[in-house]
Amino acid sequence: MANQLAFYFDVARCTGCKACQVACQDKHDLPADMRWRRVAEYSGGEWVRNQDGSFTQNVFAYYVSVACNHCEKPICQEVCPASAITKRDDGIVLIDEDKCIGCRYCEWACPYAAPQFDEDSGTMSKCTLCVDYIDAGQLPACVAACPSRALEVGELSELRAKYGDLAEVAPLPEAKLTEPAMIIKPNAKTKPVLAKAGRLANPEEV
Amino acid sequence: MDVREWALIAFTILSQMAVGSFIILGIVYFFAARKWGEEEADRLSDRALLAIGPVLVLGTLASLFHLGNPLNAYRAIANVGSSWLSREILANVLFIGVGAVFAFMQWRKISTSATRNVVALVAAAIGVVLVFSMSQIYMLRTAPAWDTIATPITFFTTTFLLGALAVGAAYVANYAYVQRKEPGCADTQCEIMRSTLRWLALASVVLVGVHLVVLPLYVAYLASSDVAAANDAVNVLMGDYGVVFALRLVLVFVGAGILGAFLYRNASSPGREKILGNLAYAAFAVVLVAEVMGRFLFYAMQTRIGL
Amino acid sequence: MGEQNFLVNAVTNTVLNRRSFLKWNAALGGTAVLAKGGLSFGLEKSDKAAAQADEKIVWSACLVNCGSRCPLRLHVRDGEIVRVETDDTGDAEYGTHQLRCCVRGRSIRQRVYNPDRLKYPMKRVGKRGEGKFERISWEEAYDTIASELQRIIDEYGNEAVYINYATGALGGTVAKSWPPGSSPIARLMNCVGGYLNHYGTYSSAQMSTAMPYTYGSRSSNSIEDIINTKLVVMFGNNICETSMGGGGGKVFALQAMKEQSGAKFILFDPRYSETAVSVVDEWIPIRPGTDAALVAAMAYVMITEDLHDQEFLDEYCVGFDEDHMPEDVPAGLSYKSYVMGDGEDGMPKTPEWAAKITGVPAETIVRVAREIALTKPCFITQGLGPQRQANGEQNCRAIAMLPILTGNVGIHGGNTGVSEGGYGIRVMGFPTLDNPVKASISVFMWYEAILRGAEMTALADGVRGVDQLPAPIKFMWNYAGNTIVNQHSDSNATVKQLEDDSLCEMIVVIENHMTPSAKLADILLPDITNFEQNEITSGSAGNTGYAIALSQAIEPQFECRPIYEMCAEIAKRLGVEEEFTEGRTHDEWLEWVVEETRKNNPDFPDYETFREMGIYKVTNPGEPSVAYADFREDPEANPLSTPSGKIEIFSKDLYDIANTWEIPEGDVITGIPVYAATWEGYEDPLREKYPLQMIGHHYKARTHSSYHNVEWLRKAAPQEVWMNPLDAEERGLELGDMVHVYNDRGRLKLPVKVTPRIAPGVISVPQGAWYEPNKDGVDEGGCVNTLTALRPSPLAKANPQHTNLVQVEKA
Ligand SMILES: Nc1nc2c(c(=O)[nH]1)N[C@H]1C(S)=C(S)[C@@H](COP(=O)(O)OP(=O)(O)OC[C@H]3O[C@@H](n4cnc5c(=O)[nH]c(N)nc54)[C@H](O)[C@@H]3O)O[C@H]1N2
Ligand SMILES: Nc1nc2c(c(=O)[nH]1)N[C@H]1C(S)=C(S)[C@@H](COP(=O)(O)OP(=O)(O)OC[C@H]3O[C@@H](n4cnc5c(=O)[nH]c(N)nc54)[C@H](O)[C@@H]3O)O[C@H]1N2
Ligand code: SF4
Ligand code: SF4
Ligand code: SF4
Ligand code: SF4
Ligand code: SF4
Ligand SMILES: [Mo]
Repeated sequence: MANQLAFYFDVARCTGCKACQVACQDKHDLPADMRWRRVAEYSGGEWVRNQDGSFTQNVFAYYVSVACNHCEKPICQEVCPASAITKRDDGIVLIDEDKCIGCRYCEWACPYAAPQFDEDSGTMSKCTLCVDYIDAGQLPACVAACPSRALEVGELSELRAKYGDLAEVAPLPEAKLTEPAMIIKPNAKTKPVLAKAGRLANPEEV
Repeated sequence: MDVREWALIAFTILSQMAVGSFIILGIVYFFAARKWGEEEADRLSDRALLAIGPVLVLGTLASLFHLGNPLNAYRAIANVGSSWLSREILANVLFIGVGAVFAFMQWRKISTSATRNVVALVAAAIGVVLVFSMSQIYMLRTAPAWDTIATPITFFTTTFLLGALAVGAAYVANYAYVQRKEPGCADTQCEIMRSTLRWLALASVVLVGVHLVVLPLYVAYLASSDVAAANDAVNVLMGDYGVVFALRLVLVFVGAGILGAFLYRNASSPGREKILGNLAYAAFAVVLVAEVMGRFLFYAMQTRIGL
Repeated sequence: MGEQNFLVNAVTNTVLNRRSFLKWNAALGGTAVLAKGGLSFGLEKSDKAAAQADEKIVWSACLVNCGSRCPLRLHVRDGEIVRVETDDTGDAEYGTHQLRCCVRGRSIRQRVYNPDRLKYPMKRVGKRGEGKFERISWEEAYDTIASELQRIIDEYGNEAVYINYATGALGGTVAKSWPPGSSPIARLMNCVGGYLNHYGTYSSAQMSTAMPYTYGSRSSNSIEDIINTKLVVMFGNNICETSMGGGGGKVFALQAMKEQSGAKFILFDPRYSETAVSVVDEWIPIRPGTDAALVAAMAYVMITEDLHDQEFLDEYCVGFDEDHMPEDVPAGLSYKSYVMGDGEDGMPKTPEWAAKITGVPAETIVRVAREIALTKPCFITQGLGPQRQANGEQNCRAIAMLPILTGNVGIHGGNTGVSEGGYGIRVMGFPTLDNPVKASISVFMWYEAILRGAEMTALADGVRGVDQLPAPIKFMWNYAGNTIVNQHSDSNATVKQLEDDSLCEMIVVIENHMTPSAKLADILLPDITNFEQNEITSGSAGNTGYAIALSQAIEPQFECRPIYEMCAEIAKRLGVEEEFTEGRTHDEWLEWVVEETRKNNPDFPDYETFREMGIYKVTNPGEPSVAYADFREDPEANPLSTPSGKIEIFSKDLYDIANTWEIPEGDVITGIPVYAATWEGYEDPLREKYPLQMIGHHYKARTHSSYHNVEWLRKAAPQEVWMNPLDAEERGLELGDMVHVYNDRGRLKLPVKVTPRIAPGVISVPQGAWYEPNKDGVDEGGCVNTLTALRPSPLAKANPQHTNLVQVEKA
């Protein structure tokens, strides 16, 4: 896709504050359990108690903020029986509530847990990349919210030229599965995709 | 697990049972017709055939409960091009349609039996496609616990196991009916039933063997996988739901294995129809429960790659 | 799926999935209406295609006590706030950056439109603390308060009236709760003879009291001075979580400074905090309350390896070695003597000695001591965690020893060891007149002052202004605070004491929400939020100073009224209306404030312009500020305000205090900063019964207890206790298990976050969750203060809320 839009995320700058998540909930009037953007905590390391009462460790931790990645190979769209999921020319992947049958198949399939079921409407919902803001030339709510400027939005090829093309780190899935339109800047703490060094530390929150 | 997942369990089990029954019925009919003539074969199978209809409809209705927005259900076949779910629904609809046409033709004896056989073959083929599509739905590249050959094998094993035992149970019921209403044919029907049950029992013993071979291999595969999501699935199976898993294995073994063996022995020696009948019912019931549990676990093991 | 039993799970989910049934009900032609409503208060789905045209955007701010005061731009439609945005002026470059609010500011709608909002004035019915109230009129409320106030003043004197510490509305100018002396309540009280004041804060009492003994004040370099440094060493300083927003928040400044300076960051903290996550290169876990031991061992390394800055110590300091001690002090009391084992305890403070206490391996102590001594300049700073300890005064002065030993004080890229500052602009305050009452107590001692006020003295209880208090507290004002129960220590004990209304006879709570403290009110007044009135606030964000003109976004909700009006009405009943208002309304005072501000700072916009601008920002035109730079330049000409004019490593004043005060057994006050093992510290034998040290870090889900009742935040950052995997394993605990945390004072029930991000033997219960005892007295809200102690720290007589011993078991 020529004009594919994408998110950029800087691990070093993310403090796990979740301003992005709540800004999204505020923007889209989402209930507390529906998080179109979520922040995963990945942490690990071993502790040893020494003889003298001191301890040694090699602990690390970092956060990854993820929404829908408006993938280039959107598995959600591939599996949706109702053809309710479409991809715009600018790459934005949207769910048409009016067409959705609420089968939740996209939810099973998407490795980013992006599609989330709306119990009230019985249909699937997910990050729209704040398409109304984008169309009005504004930043998406989450990006505009980040106090640390860990998030950016932009044209995928431009962002790649600027930041490289890493799109997978632990605990995210391998990029080859859906080719997410996302670029991650890792820091020294960041572990590669499929790493076993740590674990998703906040499963209930993502 | 909520209403939706139970709906899926009901839907997949019932429609697989329907497909299995239809095919098994066809096979039995084929041999029975050659040996005892079409009339006796019809007498054996027609009522069973008609019973498949409600099962299918029930399953399909159940599937609606799985939808958050059932009012849009008609849209489910909008993406046959890439969605296995669409393909499944389409196959399901076609199977119901062609199956119904065949059942109607068979019931009213419309057209020649050769034509009817062709229609039946077409319906059976669609049934196979249906079960295959069902399995493909779960063979997602992002769901390692599902994305294995074990999924289609298990689905087809369930299809034929439940099909065989359902048909067996149906024959027992049919025989009871014939005994009362058409005592003249009871002896022949009894003989047919016995010989059929023997074969069905044998088939189910073999099929349970498939289950008992595939399942451990499958678990071992998941456990040794280096994909975390696959390991998580094993933990679900052996941890949270370990009891259910064990019970399911025991039940399927008892139902299809032990009861199947008894059924086979009983069917081989004449007399004691009552016991034979109860054995057939019991085997069916136990295996049905086992398969429901199996399917429950299948959904419980839904662990996806990523977040 | 978790640990839940499969059957229970299957059945409950199947049977109780209300919504899916309602959905079905709707699909099958049932009543669709049922599915709506009652789900999320104030959060109706907005019409997708709704025009933005009928919206107005109003400048506002979040004014709670997190150190920041963040700009908010509220979208208002049909009199309702429908969307929240933050600063949109400026860009992403540090210096001209947008002052973006934090996660809490983002959730403000759920705080304004909250089911807990108080709607009308109420009076207590039944026993105090039962939480039973009856609606009354504003007239009745004012009358009751005025007459009770008059009665108590007449009966016990003005010293019996106390304005409790309360920071819920500290960011305002007229509607301002902190410092209490700057609140409209104080102005009201000062019109009728004054009130019992307090000194210090729950935030930094130990530091504010102790640091002046070293430096004469509590100053530090500004955070932007990190740009000039090579190494940053932080002690219990969690800027990325305690200073989260863009307005006043330091996190963006910190990250920018790190990137621009390339400095290495080291953090000593029992927890791998959000600051460790984002900016720190090396995290060194340390046991709570042991920083002074660590510092002593680093000093030992520096002295034995001759890495310390002897010239600096000789020229600028008093008390490093025996050659630089004040007169009339016995030998052996210098810092060097203490460190080398030549002092009273005869114990050399070797790295091996400190390793046992602090948990930091000896090699690490040696390595980092060398690194600090050899990297110049080095920016050493601390948060307020280390000082909120039973030996907090010692800890914070001890930490300041590192920059002193290495000569990093008074230079760019160095620091004093005190929490870093920032650049700000001054906005005039609301004048609250003079308090005729001279007596004041420590912020933490009101509990004691209720119980035995008239016995409390200067020497035993740190009473200031008078030698002895004349009366116990009989009347308590609590405007925008939750320290009555939730934020003070030992919630169970305070509740029990306050239930006895013969002690403190009248408690007036002015609040937005039905908080645990509000439940103890005799009269409960519903305040409007700062979104329902005009206000002014100002703050500092790194090198940017700013002021915000908050404009009223929505009408006062329900029967809520502004604090200024409440005080004016009570003043009227006490016959001092004219003195109180000086004929001005709330908004006229705001205008006055701007005019006064412009007298000193003519660049400040006039009232109308300011209100139109919404936000006024000024970037520091000069260099980052350096504390005591002039002293460093010329110590003779610019002495510090210590008695000696120098940095007092040994404080004669403290030494004298140690010899004159009535000091309880176990409390340690010394001239030099030493490691003092304390009650409920790591070395307390009580650890056999309660083996875990418990702290309670300030948490992103809340500003103290404010925002606790916001659903979005509760789900985003749940209340849970942090525990090391080694401790969890010993107790058979896994991530998410419900546990009991308990000691002799109480018991909490909450889920456990098993995480390598906390040291073994330490747990942290994030402070601020609302106290919610169930019928068995188990606090299911998870309020850390259910477990904290009422015993004050030695010198500041303040809250040692991070010093606690507890045990944890599966619930
Ligand atoms: N264990 C432990 N306890 C601690 C601490 C700790 O570290 N550990 N930290 C301490 C520290 S540093 C502090 S500063 C204190 C803070 O303690 P408090 O000053 O009590 O601060 P909050 O808990 O935020 O309570 C503020 C109250 O003001 C109310 N409020 C907010 N806005 C308004 C308004 O506009 N009008 C009115 N009328 N009310 C409003 C809120 O609803 C809330 O109930 O807690 C201390 N307590
Ligand atoms: N999100 C959020 N931000 C806030 C607040 C809030 O409630 N929520 N409150 C605001 C207020 S009023 C204040 S006063 C400040 C408080 O700011 P602080 O007092 O600095 O915050 P704390 O979380 O109490 O402590 C900071 C760190 O010190 C560590 N610590 C605790 N004890 C020790 C010790 O003995 N030694 C060492 N080295 N480290 C220790 C803790 O693990 C924690 O990471 O935060 C302000 N900012
Ligand atoms: S707002 Fe920014 S720093 Fe905060 S969690 Fe989101 S991405 Fe991370
Ligand atoms: S992240 Fe998931 S939902 Fe979004 S486009 Fe990719 S596959 Fe689809
Ligand atoms: S839930 Fe809706 S969007 Fe998702 S796959 Fe089903 S029909 Fe498509
Ligand atoms: S782009 Fe918009 S919809 Fe998507 S996560 Fe960000 S705020 Fe939410
Ligand atoms: S809580 Fe503090 S940092 Fe967050 S928005 Fe409010 S003032 Fe800003
Ligand atoms: Mo504070």
